[in-house]
Amino acid sequence: MARTNRDIVAAAFLLALTCVFYAATFTIRKTSFGTVGSEVWPRAILISQGVLCILYLANALRGRYPTDHGRGGGIAGWFSTYRNALICFAIYGLFLFTLPYLGMLIGSTLFVFLVFNFLGGWGVRRMAVHGAIAAVAMGAMWAVFTFGLRVILPEGEILRIW
Amino acid sequence: MIIENILAAADALFTVPTMALMVLGVAAGLIAGAIPGFTITMAIVLTLPFTFGMSPIQGLATMLGVFVGGLSGGLMAGILTGIPGTPSSVATTFDGFPMARKGQPGLALGIGVWASFFGGVISAVLLMTLAPQLARIGLEFGPWDFLSLVLFALTITASLSGDNLVKGLIAGTLGLLVATVGSDEINGVERFSFGFEPVEQGFAFLPVLVGLFAFSQLLSDIQDRQAAQQPLMPPGAEAVRIEHAQAIREVLKHWGHLIRSSLIGVFTGILPAAGGSISNILAYDQAKKASKTPELFGTGTPEGIIAPESANNATAGGALITMMALGIPGDIVTAIMLGALMIHDVIPSPTFISDEPRLAYGIFLAFFLANFIMVGMQAICLRAFVLVTQVRMYILTGVILAYCGIGIFALNNIVFDLWTLLIFGVLGLIMKTMGFPLAPMILGVVLGHIAELNLNRALSTSDDLTLFLTRPWSLFFLILGAFSIFFPHYQKLRGKVRWTLIYPSAMAICLAVPLFMMQGAVRPTIASGMIMFSLWILWRHQQRGWELVDEVRE
Repeated sequence: MARTNRDIVAAAFLLALTCVFYAATFTIRKTSFGTVGSEVWPRAILISQGVLCILYLANALRGRYPTDHGRGGGIAGWFSTYRNALICFAIYGLFLFTLPYLGMLIGSTLFVFLVFNFLGGWGVRRMAVHGAIAAVAMGAMWAVFTFGLRVILPEGEILRIW
Repeated sequence: MIIENILAAADALFTVPTMALMVLGVAAGLIAGAIPGFTITMAIVLTLPFTFGMSPIQGLATMLGVFVGGLSGGLMAGILTGIPGTPSSVATTFDGFPMARKGQPGLALGIGVWASFFGGVISAVLLMTLAPQLARIGLEFGPWDFLSLVLFALTITASLSGDNLVKGLIAGTLGLLVATVGSDEINGVERFSFGFEPVEQGFAFLPVLVGLFAFSQLLSDIQDRQAAQQPLMPPGAEAVRIEHAQAIREVLKHWGHLIRSSLIGVFTGILPAAGGSISNILAYDQAKKASKTPELFGTGTPEGIIAPESANNATAGGALITMMALGIPGDIVTAIMLGALMIHDVIPSPTFISDEPRLAYGIFLAFFLANFIMVGMQAICLRAFVLVTQVRMYILTGVILAYCGIGIFALNNIVFDLWTLLIFGVLGLIMKTMGFPLAPMILGVVLGHIAELNLNRALSTSDDLTLFLTRPWSLFFLILGAFSIFFPHYQKLRGKVRWTLIYPSAMAICLAVPLFMMQGAVRPTIASGMIMFSLWILWRHQQRGWELVDEVRE
């Protein structure tokens, strides 16, 4: 997607978001004790943001922003460019979803192991090395936090049953 | 009084455990700063949980060690690999890397280390002398003035941190909006949670900052699939020996560049803007303009290393001046430091230095001392850095991401903070790819609460909005804010368009107005001087027929 189009979409999205939040300011509870209502500051921000978004949209429509010719390839190109970042985010999301079950020790070790394999390759030898590094790195950090700093990290259902 | 405070702070600071912790902090900062993608922000957040059990002075001294170490660590990667470890060492690579390639890596590193040291020491001295004075001025500020200061901080950050002012300002307002989510601090009313329970308390400050800045930075560093699988330095690379004696001679030989760049660094730090990432480029540019041999810049000249390295370390002192005296962070790293201080129940404000002199001077002294420790530790950490750089980038990324998660969880023991990290990491990456600068958003998140609190105080005291224009300091910051909006255009078009000839004089004359409104004799005298000087500059331009640079060359 060209930068010009992306900017139009981004400006329109931001404008819509501003409208949604502005509408939400009317649902903020009014109190009898405060001199200044809790909705005053957010409204001041949102009005400024709305004006800026309109300016951004106008600039985008007039083609004021440079078109990014470097990448191309549409959405597939975008996914290809940000493949590594998207993989990391996806695995991190998975780690968070499974955290209540796997806990911090198993979950973070698996997270690191998966990130290593997706980014570094899936060969048998590599997987063994990745597994060892992940286990040592996360095991050490978990031990430092649990026993050294006395931080209660999520234990997870699996370890609790075990 | 100052001596008494310094002695009291020294008594608390010069203990074996505190010194040992500072050494560890500097070492951790040096290694973190040296690894591209591993920012000082991450290093401080990871250090924070370790400081919970320490006394405030120990905890703060450790974090200041990480801060100073991180600033200096960036030069190792920049000089030896050509890839700056941190944004504040970008300009160091322009001459540091060529000098290393010419066979003088030890000298290049030495010049970088000693320039960093002298820059840091100069700014530490200025921090100790200027911060209490600025805090005294800060005591004159009312809520109107603080709100105007926050607005100025946001406009200047937006105008300095990106090519596009509108995008910068939108990022700033988005940051302010994020700070409003959750329970309102003044009335306790819930806002923008949309019925989602975990958001009712709002987003925790540090996960938002780490997600926005550090997470997105780390992930954009591994975009290149081939590069992600390579180590930073080839296997077999060895640590070089830093040539200290020759480096000190080179740095002192160019003392003019050192002093000028350090002052540029301190001034950039005092401004609530983009900090070291700007000061190192600015100092490099000024050094090149002032040099007798500008053609040597970019080929490995010592001046090209001295200027950026002294400036970026001096920026830290400048940023600490504003943070300690006014409670306004000077850049992203000091924003994180502010959050870290708050976790230790230390809330910087104009009264902080006078109320807590032992702690305040302890911070000043720790910053001063950290620069000395940094010089001593650099040679040791260089070996560790060489080892770390032989690890493949994706391995470092995976481990750092997981460590950040654990570090963030340990701050509040809340799983939702990990979700916050993810959400703002995604948002940060999207914003970066769309060309939105992240610094204004981060500053918006940090300053949002301060701005709202002061708006409430101002409107509770009086509903007269003209007070924003009739109170001298408020007017001063609003004028600065208005002129800062045009600053990027001024920089781009300086000497090419006629209005740029008037811009500095017009700003000085406008700023003289609130100075005239202030009490006493000193400030109105300064204002008179500013007006006289501006009128003289304008008269000179008029005598030359408003000639532009291109016309002069012709």
